[in-house]
Amino acid sequence: MNIHPTIQKRTPAEDALVASFEDRFSRLPGDPEVSVKRDAAIEQLKAGLPTRHVEAWHYTDLRRLLTHVPESTAAKGGAVAVEPLLDGSVVTALFDGVHARRLPTLDGVKFEAVADKLSDGSLAPALGASGDDDAVGALNTALVGDGVFVDVSENTSLEVPIEIQNIHTGGQTHTRNAVRVGNGASAIVIERQTGTNPALVSHVSNLSVGDGAEVTWVIVQEQPDTVTHLAQFNAYIGANAKLTLFVMNAGGKLVRQEIKVKTVGEGSDFQLRGVNLLAGDTHSDTTMVLDHAVPHCGSRELVRNVVTGKARGVFQGRINVHQIAQKTDAKMACNTLLLSDDAEFLTKPELEIFADDVACGHGATVTEIDRNHLFYLMARGVPEKEGRGMLVKAFLAEVIEELEHPALVEALEAKLDEWFRVNV
Amino acid sequence: MPAVQDTIDRVRKIDVDQYKYGFSTEIETDKAPKGLTEDTIRLISAKKGEPEWMLEWRLDAFKRWQTLEEPTWARVAYPKIDFQDIHYYAAPKTQAGPSSLDEVDPELLKVYEKLGIPLKEQEILAGVKKPGHEAEAEGIINEMAEDNVYKSGRVAVDAVFDSVSVVTTFKKELAQAGVIFCSISEAIRDHPDLIKKYLGSVVPTTDNFYATLNAAVFTDGSFVFVPKGVRCPMELSTYFRINEKNTGQFERTLIIAEEGAYVSYLEGCTAPQRDENQLHAAVVELVALDDAEIKYSTVQNWYPGDAQGKGGIYNFVTKRGDCRGHRSKISWTQVETGSAITWKYPSCILRGDDSRGEFYSIAVSNGYQQVDSGTKMIHLGKNTSSRIISKGIAAGFSQNTYRGQVSAHRKATGARNFTNCDSLLIGDQCGAHTVPYMEAKNSSAKFEHEATTSKISEDAKFYVMQRGIPEEEAVALIVNGFVREVIQELPMEFAVEAQKLIGISLEGSVG
Repeated sequence: MNIHPTIQKRTPAEDALVASFEDRFSRLPGDPEVSVKRDAAIEQLKAGLPTRHVEAWHYTDLRRLLTHVPESTAAKGGAVAVEPLLDGSVVTALFDGVHARRLPTLDGVKFEAVADKLSDGSLAPALGASGDDDAVGALNTALVGDGVFVDVSENTSLEVPIEIQNIHTGGQTHTRNAVRVGNGASAIVIERQTGTNPALVSHVSNLSVGDGAEVTWVIVQEQPDTVTHLAQFNAYIGANAKLTLFVMNAGGKLVRQEIKVKTVGEGSDFQLRGVNLLAGDTHSDTTMVLDHAVPHCGSRELVRNVVTGKARGVFQGRINVHQIAQKTDAKMACNTLLLSDDAEFLTKPELEIFADDVACGHGATVTEIDRNHLFYLMARGVPEKEGRGMLVKAFLAEVIEELEHPALVEALEAKLDEWFRVNV
Repeated sequence: MPAVQDTIDRVRKIDVDQYKYGFSTEIETDKAPKGLTEDTIRLISAKKGEPEWMLEWRLDAFKRWQTLEEPTWARVAYPKIDFQDIHYYAAPKTQAGPSSLDEVDPELLKVYEKLGIPLKEQEILAGVKKPGHEAEAEGIINEMAEDNVYKSGRVAVDAVFDSVSVVTTFKKELAQAGVIFCSISEAIRDHPDLIKKYLGSVVPTTDNFYATLNAAVFTDGSFVFVPKGVRCPMELSTYFRINEKNTGQFERTLIIAEEGAYVSYLEGCTAPQRDENQLHAAVVELVALDDAEIKYSTVQNWYPGDAQGKGGIYNFVTKRGDCRGHRSKISWTQVETGSAITWKYPSCILRGDDSRGEFYSIAVSNGYQQVDSGTKMIHLGKNTSSRIISKGIAAGFSQNTYRGQVSAHRKATGARNFTNCDSLLIGDQCGAHTVPYMEAKNSSAKFEHEATTSKISEDAKFYVMQRGIPEEEAVALIVNGFVREVIQELPMEFAVEAQKLIGISLEGSVG
């Protein structure tokens, strides 16, 4: 994993991960091709987890921060299904990485278990790390057990959202979703990550958006503050297609949410809206790499962070514009409110541009609540705590309100309120 | 806009890979043998007549350097440098510490004259020597009107040729004001207390690969000391020239402004056109005590290599200012047009309360140049503020990266930063990159960062052309407008030079 050459000895966590692999390997699903990928991935992990000397992990020294790896045996039951975010959703649920119920049926959509797709080898090409610094990809490839495969056929316009629940009650879970949305289709997919006990979770979602398709993908991560959550979202966007990704991060002890998006068809559009709610002593890292690989594509990324307690937040965002990707229009913004003196936010918004006829920009701000605004509210009889809540909510609401789905906006705002009650 | 017109004229006249300062001069030199060992360092130290403690300092750094590895994180690519294939010392033979300009080798003076720095005339103008004929003086004054900052007679110059400082002008006048301006070698001999106190206090010998190398083998550079309450009566300037083949230039500059002092310092540099790459690894340290202000301007015009990317200077420089005192201020302004590879991050450590750091930069890259440059603003004191304005212009096959860090320490309450970095791309074979690091570790820090990358807007061009201005001129006008914010920060005569330089660097790509 392109580690500092002086590092020789493995940390206890690294040892534990290798041991988990050795322990589980024989029971993990997969044809020979999958096994080869798993072997390569574990070799990569054996070389060591990334440190801050690896640029992609500059603010999240995984080798140092990952101190505890729970037993590889999954916790035994006790998981309780959660209510779907939106009423009427078609739900699939994995409890500790195992399908909790039969896969649903829906017209125009095919649901399959990822374990089956690994066993027949059809998912093998999607496995593997994308590079020396892709620790999440390597960890997941080595140990992935199951997940959901969803295929939305061409020109199917889904009326109901699909919700994929991952509920963890402890131990280790390594899951993977693969979703294909056919040309001209449209879908809303909601990815839930919740749990009750200390756990190590690695999760990868792969999405391919067909030409002219439209996908709204919502990730709601609300793990307890004892969980290490290492997640990756990969997407390819076809011609004239649109992907709106909404990420709400509101939990976990050590969280890394990677977002890797590539435009592969002309005229595509990517929208990212992110809300990071960080409290306690969480370390939460959102890292995005957006590849504009073809001309005439647009993208907007807006990430808003509220950090309180002793939490440390990280946002790394990189927009790559390839040489042929002329007429790219990409804008990224990351705004942060620090609510306590011990809170910390580290950000690295990058532009990497090889095409000349483009309009790209990024903006980043870090500040505290404007005392004048607070004074204004308090002078009108609003108590301080409430006033702060109003201002923080206004700051975040902007991100949520842009979603074009009223029920979704309402559900997410309810989540915000819940977090505010406890933390602001 | 005569400057704009001038830019265009120059662009028209000059071929793609013409570098105005690319001539080399045959001067008999005294060179150290190639390679780097302890003996090389002893030789340099002996040549400079240094005291024992200085030699020890160098040897310590050398030992440290042997354990270090070259940094690879910057976005630049170049073949591995063979550090044993470089002469670490080269000095014009005739030079034996001339006390006045008359003793300086006329060949050397000619070099500087050719570079637009008539050291002799300068002194004449200022009345150090009586002019032979009044008519001559008049001629000089006419010439002065031309624009060159060095001809204005208001700038003291320290001329560094390969490894040695050839001459420093206006020393007497400056001494009257209490300002010490001399080569660093002289300072080590004459002001050991100041050197011991400040050298390496901002950039320690252990800082990074190139800074450590520099600490071991630095040969010359400038030393400035402005005592308490003194406003330096004139601009100070150092002009660096690499002439000899296969040599590296390792200069060391140290500027100290005591309480309430003010100094403005300019730095210029050029090198001959050669096929092989030459290394330039400098260290610049600035120290500003309470209420002091240092303004440091650079026009960097090392040979950038030819149109095929052959040759050119590797410019690996560590520059850092320490706002040690309360209410102190350090301002870096740089115009970077030369060098094959630039690796340079002039930084400010804002240690004193209410101190301020500024960084204004224009980095122009063309041909196969690679620039990875930016700044660091480290907020440590209370109510410190910083401002970063960076303008990158990439043309040809060049890669231009802005890399900057702004951080507020836990106790740096009220830290304030504004960063703006814009990149302009001219042509579709070049790249422009922005890599800012923002680290806010306390809630009262207020950081703002914005960056944009675009090509010259068709609308803006249309607007200008529609008013009867031809396309080429329109582009130049827009480019000049793009960099105006930075140019404004330069001393006036320098600004005109810089503006022209940008025109020259972009030749073959504008329009």
